[in-house]
Amino acid sequence: MKKRFISVVSLIAYLAAAAFAQTQTTPPPPAKPRSVTFPKPVEQTLPNGLRVIIVERHDMPLVTASLVIKNGGEVDPLELAGLADLTASLLTKGTTKRTATTIAEEVEYLGGELEAAARWDSTNVTVGVMSNKLAPAMTILADVVRRPTFRPDEIERQRQQYLDTLTVSLDEPSSIARFVGAKVLYGDGLYGHPVQGTLESLKRISRADVLKMHRLFYRSDNAILVIGGDINSETGFTLAKRFFGDWPKPAARLPTTPTVNKPDSTTSGRVVVIDKPNAGQAAVYLVHRGIDRKDPDYYRGIVTNSVLNGYSGRLNQEIRIKRGLSYGAGSSLEARRDVGPFVATAQTKNESGSEVAGLLVNEVARLSTLPPMESELTPRKAALIGEFSRNLETVNGLVSHISSLALYGLSLDEINHFIENVQLINSADIEKFARTRLDAKSSDIIIVGNSKVFLPELQKRYGNVEVIPFSQLDLNTRLLRKKQAQ
Amino acid sequence: MASIRRLTRHSLMICQPRRYVPHAAILFRISLLLVTNLFIQAAVFSQPRLPQIKFSDRTLANGLRLISAPDHSSPTVAIQVWYHVGSKDDPNQRSGFAHLFEHMMFKSTRNMKSEMMDRLTEDVGGSNGASTNDDVTIYNEVVPSNYLETLIWAEADRLAGLNVDEANFKSERDVVKEEYREGVLTPPYGRFDFLLQQKSFLQHPYKRPTIGSIEDLDAASLRDVQEFHATYYRPDNATLIVVGDFDQKQLDSWVDKYFGPIEKPNRPIPRVQMKEPSRNSEIRAVEHGINELPAVGLTYLTPGLAHPDTDALEVVAAILGGGESSRLYRALVYEQQLAADVGASADSREDASLFEITAVLSEGKKPEDLERSLLAEIRKLQDQPVSQLELDRAKNQLITNLFRERETSEGTAQVLGEAAVLLGHPEQANFDLARTQAVTVADVQRVMKKYFAGSNRLVLYYLPEASKPSEAR
Repeated sequence: MKKRFISVVSLIAYLAAAAFAQTQTTPPPPAKPRSVTFPKPVEQTLPNGLRVIIVERHDMPLVTASLVIKNGGEVDPLELAGLADLTASLLTKGTTKRTATTIAEEVEYLGGELEAAARWDSTNVTVGVMSNKLAPAMTILADVVRRPTFRPDEIERQRQQYLDTLTVSLDEPSSIARFVGAKVLYGDGLYGHPVQGTLESLKRISRADVLKMHRLFYRSDNAILVIGGDINSETGFTLAKRFFGDWPKPAARLPTTPTVNKPDSTTSGRVVVIDKPNAGQAAVYLVHRGIDRKDPDYYRGIVTNSVLNGYSGRLNQEIRIKRGLSYGAGSSLEARRDVGPFVATAQTKNESGSEVAGLLVNEVARLSTLPPMESELTPRKAALIGEFSRNLETVNGLVSHISSLALYGLSLDEINHFIENVQLINSADIEKFARTRLDAKSSDIIIVGNSKVFLPELQKRYGNVEVIPFSQLDLNTRLLRKKQAQ
Repeated sequence: MASIRRLTRHSLMICQPRRYVPHAAILFRISLLLVTNLFIQAAVFSQPRLPQIKFSDRTLANGLRLISAPDHSSPTVAIQVWYHVGSKDDPNQRSGFAHLFEHMMFKSTRNMKSEMMDRLTEDVGGSNGASTNDDVTIYNEVVPSNYLETLIWAEADRLAGLNVDEANFKSERDVVKEEYREGVLTPPYGRFDFLLQQKSFLQHPYKRPTIGSIEDLDAASLRDVQEFHATYYRPDNATLIVVGDFDQKQLDSWVDKYFGPIEKPNRPIPRVQMKEPSRNSEIRAVEHGINELPAVGLTYLTPGLAHPDTDALEVVAAILGGGESSRLYRALVYEQQLAADVGASADSREDASLFEITAVLSEGKKPEDLERSLLAEIRKLQDQPVSQLELDRAKNQLITNLFRERETSEGTAQVLGEAAVLLGHPEQANFDLARTQAVTVADVQRVMKKYFAGSNRLVLYYLPEASKPSEAR
C-alpha cells in the first residue's frame, strides 16, 4: 500500500506560509483522506448447532478465541442474583481433567489469559495467546466450557471472593450509584440486580443452582465461537470442529429467555440519595430506559449519546471545561437484547452534588429543545466513528465487536456499514430521539455521597428526595431500604 | 487491586515504563542467550519473533529529537511528544505542578484557542491525551493520517509558547482538584497507593506523588505556569515520535518547518541531583482509610530502570504476582484464603524504583497473618531456585505483553518513547524480547537475595477507620 501525494490545498498553504511568516498562525489544512475497511468475518454452523465465526487479521502473531454463551446475568433467578457470573467464574476452577491450579498453570505457560465472566445477555469465555499456541489454548477453552466439575470447595472459595470484591465495590460511590440506578430502573426485571450478585443473594446460591445453570444454558446450540487475529479461516474451522464438533446438542429444548422488562411509568422520576458521610466525592447518576439492540432507532440513539458523551461532548463541556466541577462527565446508551439503560454521570466534590445533578438534567433536556446544528453534529459523529475504528484496532477489540453483532443476531457485515449509518443521522433525528426516548423529566437521579452538604439545595430543586443512609441500603428491593429500618 | 480507576484524558500515567539496560551490555547478553536458550525454546514452541520496529532517528539543530516509524496498515498516525520533565521536577511547595501544567497545555497557546487541540483531533475522528508520571510528561494524538501536518504544527505551537489566562487557569485547576479527589480520596484504596509511594522515598522528590496535594495546587499561580514552560518546555528537552501512515520526506519537511524555528535557550535544563539513600532497617507504618477490608503494602527499594537487574525484577514480579498460577495468588488467595486480591510489580522509575507488593485482605483476616505469609513466599524464592518451567511461564506472560503493546501505532510510539527518552536509545525497544528471554533461574535467586532483605523493606498497614481506637479518631 503506497501513499505519496501532496494535496493542492496543503501545497498552497505551505507556499503562503513560507512567503509571509516564519511561524504559521493558522493550522495547515488536512490532506485528502484515505478510506477505512475492516476485515470481513466468515462463518459456519456445525451440525450440533454451534455457530463458528472467523475474522482474520495478520498484523501481529496474536489470536483471541471467545466462546459466547447466549445468556448471562439476565437469566439469574431473582433470589439468586450473581448465579450466571459465579457459574462462569467456576468454569476455570476445575474440570474432569484439570484442577484450578493446572488450568492457571497451563494457560499462563502459554503466555495467555483465560477469562470467564457473565455480563448482560451473554457469558464470554475468552482466551488470548500468540498464534502458534492457539491449539493448546483451545484445548483448555473447550475443557472448561464443557467439563467443569464445580467442586464444593471451589464454590465456597469463589463465593468468598465475590463477597470480598462486592464489599470493596460498596466502598465506592460510583459502584453504589450504578447498582442503585439499575434497581430503580428495572426493579425485579431482567437487569435490575448487580451482575456479580448482592451480599445476600451470593450466600443463597447452592451447588445445585450452579449445576442447573450450566446444564440449561451451556449447550452447543446456545453458543457462538469467535476466533480472530492471526489465523486463517480454514485452520479456524478445523480447530473449532476438533474441540467443539463432538459437543452433543441436548434433546431438551432451550429455556425461553424471560422478557419481563416492561416500562413501569409509575415509578419514574425518582430522586434517590444514598448518604455515605465518608465519601471522597459524590457520584451523580441520571438514568432512563434506553433502547434494545434491534431498535430501529439504534443509530439515532448512539449519535444522540455522542452529542453528550466524549471529551468534547456537551456534558464535559458544561461540567468540566466550563465549570471545573469534575474530572470527567459522560453518558452511555447500552443497547441490550431487551431495553438497556441510558446513563449520564459525573463525580464531583460533595458540595457540588446538587449542581451537577441539575446540569445533567439540563443537558438531557437540551438535546430536544436545542438539538445540535450541523456544525456541532459533524464533529460528534466524527468522534464516534473514530472511537469505533480505534476499538477495532486490536484483536481483542475486533473479536469483542463481532461477538456482540453475532449475539444479537445482526449481520456481521454491519461492521463495514457503521460509518455510513452514523453519517446518515441528522439534527432532526437527534431532536426526535431525545424527545421521544429520553424525556429528562421522567429520568431518575441517584446521588451517592456525603449528603449533608448537598441535600438542602437538592431538596429545593426537587421536592421529593428519598434519602437512604448507606447502612440501610438494600440492593435486593426496589424500595432500596432494609426492612428493619425505623 | 480492587479499584481500577476510570480515566478520561490528561490522566496520570498508569502504565509503567518498560525497563532497559544500556545498549552495549544488551548486545553481549543476547549473544549468550541465543546459544544457551535455543534448544529449550525450540523444544516447546517455535517462538514467534518480535517484529522489529524500523525507525529513523534524527536531531534538529535546536536539539529536538525526531523518531519516526512508518506503518501503512491503517490510515491513521500516532504522534507523541515526550518532555523529559515529571513530578520529580515539581517546584518547591508546588507538588502536583508538572501534572497541573500538563492540563494547561490544552489551553490557549500563541495561535490556538483553548481546547483547539480537541478540534484538530476528536472533531475529525482522532483522539488526544496526555499523561504525567514521576519522570516524563507525554502528549499524544492519534489522527487520520491526512491530518498529520496539522498536528505537527499544533504540537510545535504549544511548545513555542502558552498564553493561558487566569480564568482558564483557575477552572482547570479545579478539574485537577477533582482528579485528586477521584483518584486519591474516593476509591477505597486510592490513598493507600498514594501513601505507599509517599512513605517509600525519604529524600528523593519521588516522595511527592504525581497528583500532589490540594494545598500546593491552590498555591500555584499563572506565573508558575510561564516559568515552568520556560524552564522545561524547550526543543532540546523534547522527543517527537511519529508512527503510522506517513511519508518520511514529507514528515521531515514539516518537522523542520514547524519545529525548526523554535529556539533553544542558552541556560542548562535543571535536573534532580538528589539520590535516595539506601535503607538500613525496616520501615513500618499504619494508616487508616475509608476501606472496609484492610490492605497491606510492601515496598523494596531497587535501582533505576537502566540498571541490568531490572529485567530480572520484572520476571520476579510475574513469578510472584502474574496471574492465578503466581506464587502469591496461589498461596494467599487460593490456598490460605487470606487475601481477596494480591499484586506484585517492579514499579520502575528513572532514578530509583520500588518493587511493590500489595494485598487486600479477605473478610475477617488479620494483616499480621497476611504479612507473615507474604514474607514466607519471598523467603522461599530466596532459598530455593525456581524451576525452569515456572520461569518460562512467567516469561511467556511478559513476552505476550510485548506483542500486545505493539498492536497499535500508539502502542509502538509508546515503546519507542520509553526507550528513547528514559534510556536514550530507541533501538532498545527492539531488544525487549531478548532481554526478557535472557533472565535465568540464577538471576531470579540472585536479585531475590540482593533486594528483598528485611532491612530494605517498608511495610504499610492500611486499616479501616472504624478499627481505630476511638480516643485516637
